[in-house]
Amino acid sequence: MSGAESTRELTMSRAMVSAIAHEMRENDDVFYMGEDVADYGGIFDSTQGLREEFGYDRIMDVPISETAYIGAAVGAAQAGMRPIAELMFVDFFGVAMDQIYNQMAKNTYMSGGNVSVPMVLTAAVGGTYNDAAQHSQTLYGTFAHIPGLKIVVPSTAYEAKGLMHNAIRDDDPVLYMFHKRLMGIGWMPAPDGPKTPVPETDYTIPFGRADVKRDGEDVTIVTLGLHVHRALEAAETLASDGISAEVIDLRSLVPLDTETIVESVEKTGNLVVVDEDYRSYGVTGEVTARVAEEALDALERVERVAVPDVPIPYSRPLEKEVIPGTEDIVNAATRTQ
Amino acid sequence: MTEHNERVAVQLDEWPDDVESDEGVVVNWFVSEGATITESESLCEVQIEKVSLDVYAPASGTLTEIRCGEDDEFERGETLAWVTPTPSED
Amino acid sequence: MPHASENTLTRLYENMVTARYYEERLQEEYLEGKQPAFDISAGPIPGELHLAAGHEAAGAGVCDHLRDDDIVTATHRPHHIAIAKGVDLKRMTAEIFGRETGLGKGKGGHMHLFDPDVNFACSGIIAEGCPPAVGGALAAQKRNTDSVAVSYLGEGAIDQGAFLESLNFASVFDLPVVFVIEDNDWAISMPKERVTDVENGAKRADGFEMPGVRVDSDDVLDVYDAAGEAIGRARDRNGPTVIEVQVHRRMGHFMGDPETYRPEADQEAAAERDSIVRLESDLREAGVEDDRIDEIRDDAHSRVDEAIEWAKDQPLPEPGAAHEDLFVSPASGVTDSEPDFEAVGGEE
Ligand SMILES: Cc1ncc(C[n+]2csc(CCOP(=O)(O)OP(=O)(O)O)c2C)c(N)n1
Repeated sequence: MSGAESTRELTMSRAMVSAIAHEMRENDDVFYMGEDVADYGGIFDSTQGLREEFGYDRIMDVPISETAYIGAAVGAAQAGMRPIAELMFVDFFGVAMDQIYNQMAKNTYMSGGNVSVPMVLTAAVGGTYNDAAQHSQTLYGTFAHIPGLKIVVPSTAYEAKGLMHNAIRDDDPVLYMFHKRLMGIGWMPAPDGPKTPVPETDYTIPFGRADVKRDGEDVTIVTLGLHVHRALEAAETLASDGISAEVIDLRSLVPLDTETIVESVEKTGNLVVVDEDYRSYGVTGEVTARVAEEALDALERVERVAVPDVPIPYSRPLEKEVIPGTEDIVNAATRTQ
Repeated sequence: MTEHNERVAVQLDEWPDDVESDEGVVVNWFVSEGATITESESLCEVQIEKVSLDVYAPASGTLTEIRCGEDDEFERGETLAWVTPTPSED
Repeated sequence: MPHASENTLTRLYENMVTARYYEERLQEEYLEGKQPAFDISAGPIPGELHLAAGHEAAGAGVCDHLRDDDIVTATHRPHHIAIAKGVDLKRMTAEIFGRETGLGKGKGGHMHLFDPDVNFACSGIIAEGCPPAVGGALAAQKRNTDSVAVSYLGEGAIDQGAFLESLNFASVFDLPVVFVIEDNDWAISMPKERVTDVENGAKRADGFEMPGVRVDSDDVLDVYDAAGEAIGRARDRNGPTVIEVQVHRRMGHFMGDPETYRPEADQEAAAERDSIVRLESDLREAGVEDDRIDEIRDDAHSRVDEAIEWAKDQPLPEPGAAHEDLFVSPASGVTDSEPDFEAVGGEE
C-alpha cells in the first residue's frame, strides 16, 4: 500500500498540506481560500506553513462570506484556475448551499460538458469531542446525494496525500472531507492508525477505488473516515471471538466502488455498514441497496451502524450514545453470525 | 582522523515566550528509533499549552534513542531523544 | 454624564462583574484536566468554549433596556448577553457542564443556549441569529405588541448574507429590531482590516435606509445611551437600527487559542482598556461608596460560584435521552388517524 522503504511517518494534516504545497509549486493556478487559513494555518492544521511559503495572495484569508468565496472558487475554476476553498466545518455548508448544490455541482452537466469546474472544496467533518449539533456532523450523505460532485474521505496520511493530488489535478469539482479527529492535531489526539509512512514524491490515488484494510472471511465491514480505525479495532476484538472480519475503507463516496464491496460480501455473506452520518437516507442505506441490487443471493445478514436520526448532542454520555463506537461495531458484526 | 562520534541531544530549540507552562507534551513522532535522519528535518511535534512546535534533527545520523514517546510530558530543556551522527569522511 | 441614575449604574456594574467573573471561573473549570496537554475533549467542560471577557459593556448596556418579552439572539460567544438578558444562571451553567438539568438537558451546549422564559437564544453559525431576531420583531409587529428584538453579531459577521438580507427585510417592513455588532477587531485570527471593507460596521445601515451608530469605546454608559435610543425607536414602531460597539477580546477566540497570530501590543491594549474599571470610577463619581462597590462585586461572585457548584452537582443525562426531544408533537402530527373520507364531505 504505502511507499515501501520510507521510514518517515506523517500526520494526516501534514500529508494533506504536502500535497497542496507540491501542487502549488508546480502550478501557479492553484490557490487556497478560507477563513483562518493564512496566519492560523487552518483551525485544523489544513494549511500549516503554506502562507509562509506562498504568501497571502495564494493562501487567502477571506471574509466570513461562504457564499461569496465558495462561489468565487466556482467562478475562478470556470475561468481556468484551480482554486481550493475551505469550509472550516462542513456544518457551515448551509450558508453557501446554492453555490455548492446548484453551481459547483451542476454547471458541467447543464453546459452539456462544455464547462469544467476544476476546484476542490475541503471541509472538516466529524464529532467525538463534544462540539454539539452545529459543529460535529459529517454530512456525507447530504453531499453524496447531489449528482455532480466527486467526494473523497481520507482515513490515513497516505490516503490524504494521494487523494489530494488527484483532487487538485482532476478537472471536476471534488469535495475533500477530512475528519478532525484524524488530523493528528496536538489538542485533538488521533487514534492509532492515521499516521502512516508517506512517500516524499507526488502520487495519486484514484477515486472510486476502495481499500481492503483487513482481510476476513465471516463478515464485511464497510466504512470510511474515522470509523475505518474503529472498525479495525473492532475486527481485532472480533478475531479474538473467532469472527474474521474484512474491513473495507471506501475512500471515496462518489464514485463508489461497488465492485469491491460486492466481491467481499460474496465471500463473507454478511454486511455491516458503519457511518458517522445520520442513519436515514445516507451511506448505510446506499451501500446496502447496492449490494442488494448486485448480489441479493449472497447476502445473509445486514446491519447498519450509524447516528440515529437526531442532531449530535453536546453532553458526553449523549454524544457517545449516538456516534457509533467500536463496541457497537463488534455487536453488529456479532449479530450477523 | 575520525573522531569518536558523540551522540547529540534532540531538544526543543526555543521555548515559546508566550506560554506560562514549563512543561510540554510530545504529540507526534515522525520517525522511529533506528531511523536514518537528515540534519534539520522535523523529527517530532510537541505541544506546550496549545502552541504546537516542531523539533528538528540537530545532526544527520541515526535516531538511536527516543526518551519521550508520544503523549509523554517533558520539561523545559529536557532531552527528547539522542542522535548518533554519521561519521564524517575526512 | 451622568447619563444614567445611580440605580442604573449599580445594575450595570452588577451585571458586568457577574459576566466577567463567570468567564474567569469557566476558564478555570475548562482548563482543568487540559494541562499540560490541551486536549479539547478532556476535563469537566469539553468542546469549544468562547468566552466574552472584554465584551461585557455590549451585553449590559443594551439588555438593561429590555424586558423579558423582548427577544435576544446571541452569537457563539453568548454568556455575557445571556446574563444581561436574565437567563437562569444555574441552568445555563448546568448546560455548559452538559448536565441533565441544563437549559437544553445537555443537548445544546455553550453555543446553543435557549431560555424561552426570557426569550433568549443563540447559535454557533455566524450571523444566523439575525433572521430569527427579525422574525421575532415581525411577530411583535403582527400582534401589535410593543416588544422588540435584538440580534447580536461580531464584526466578522457583517460580511455574511444572512445579516445583509436581514437588514433589508427589517427595513422594508419597518421592524422593531436592533442589530448590535460587537467589534473586538478579530474574527479568530483575521484582523478586521484584512477581511472587511469598512472600519465602522454601523455603516452597513446606510445602504438600507436605517440609522447606524458606532460606539467607539466600550464605555457602558455610551452603549447604554445609544441602545436606549435605538430600542426606544423600535418600541415606538419607528424601525430598525444598527449599533456597533467597540469591545475587546481578553481571552483569545476560544479557550486554548495560542494567539500566535496576534501582536503582543494588541493583546496588552485589550487587557488595559477595561470597561469595568471605568465604570467603577463612574460609580465613585456618582457618590457610591467603595464598600458598596465591593459588596456588589462580592455578591456577584458568590452567585457565580454558587451556580457553578450547583451545576457540577447535577446529574449527567442518561444516554437514552439522546433519542428524545426531536419533536414536541408526536411524529404523526396532531392526529393519529385519518378522517372517514365521507364524513369530512368527500365524494364517493
Ligand atoms: C457560517 C460560519 N462560518 C464560519 C464559522 C466559524 N467561526 C466561528 S467564530 C468565527 C469568527 C467570528 O468573528 P466575529 O463575528 O467577529 O465574532 P468574535 O468571535 O470575534 O466574537 C468564525 C469564522 C461559523 N461558526 N459559521
